[in-house]
Amino acid sequence: MTDAELARRASSGDRAAFSALVATHRGAVFGFARRLTRDADLAADVMQETFLTALQKLAGWRGEGSLRGWLLSIARSQVLLARRRRAGEPAVFEPVESLPELGLEAGWGAPLDPLALAERVEAQSGLERALAALPDEAREVLLLRDVEGLSGDETAAALGLSVAAMKSRLHRARLQLVAAVKRGGLHGE
Amino acid sequence: MASEKSVGGLRCFEVLEQLSDYLDGELSAEQRSKLEAHLAGCEECTRFGGEFGAVVAALRQKLGAADVPEAAARRLDEALAKKA
Repeated sequence: MTDAELARRASSGDRAAFSALVATHRGAVFGFARRLTRDADLAADVMQETFLTALQKLAGWRGEGSLRGWLLSIARSQVLLARRRRAGEPAVFEPVESLPELGLEAGWGAPLDPLALAERVEAQSGLERALAALPDEAREVLLLRDVEGLSGDETAAALGLSVAAMKSRLHRARLQLVAAVKRGGLHGE
Repeated sequence: MASEKSVGGLRCFEVLEQLSDYLDGELSAEQRSKLEAHLAGCEECTRFGGEFGAVVAALRQKLGAADVPEAAARRLDEALAKKA
């Protein structure tokens, strides 16, 4: 049964259908929240609030885009809410670098070190570390577009951005990730 | 620095700008063929483009859904059951 069919049944009160949706998507929602917050306990709270919200609002889901995109969009809002609730958490200031600066940090025009890069890319832990070292803004666009595979339109909608702004943010984030992979993901941890 | 060199009618900086669109299949046929002509004649951009593509591909393929801890899954089920 497709997500749309399950969602239709679930919104008519079929709890087994909703449970099937939860079983299908909870790993993605938890993974997204954990990688975004870098906090497994907070991610578990976000996952729970996401599905409680989804249960409440499912009837209003219009079936535009994927259900996973809709759930991740709710999860992102829950992360933002949780951060706002954490009084005293300092705002992270990330200086905006130009594209050539980002490129240079990522090794654009630098001598080749293919072996080291291949090893780091091959190791999932190296990628996780590099991703965790990025600013939140970069991490969330990479998680939605590349890790979760949402379309450009869905990613832009989840972030509340125009497609053009999302694409610009995505490109900068990918360059930052290449740089972080090359550094071994140590910076910013 | 690679940015000033022009190969195939594109400077290296313009290639750097377009790498994501190239990877995502969002360049026009004309833009794509210009970029590929540049890559064919520019070793530095070919190398960096390869690295960039390898990192994005790994991100897409290697980091899937996470395993939900048992306690968190149980708590979720309980919270949903209360809403029944």
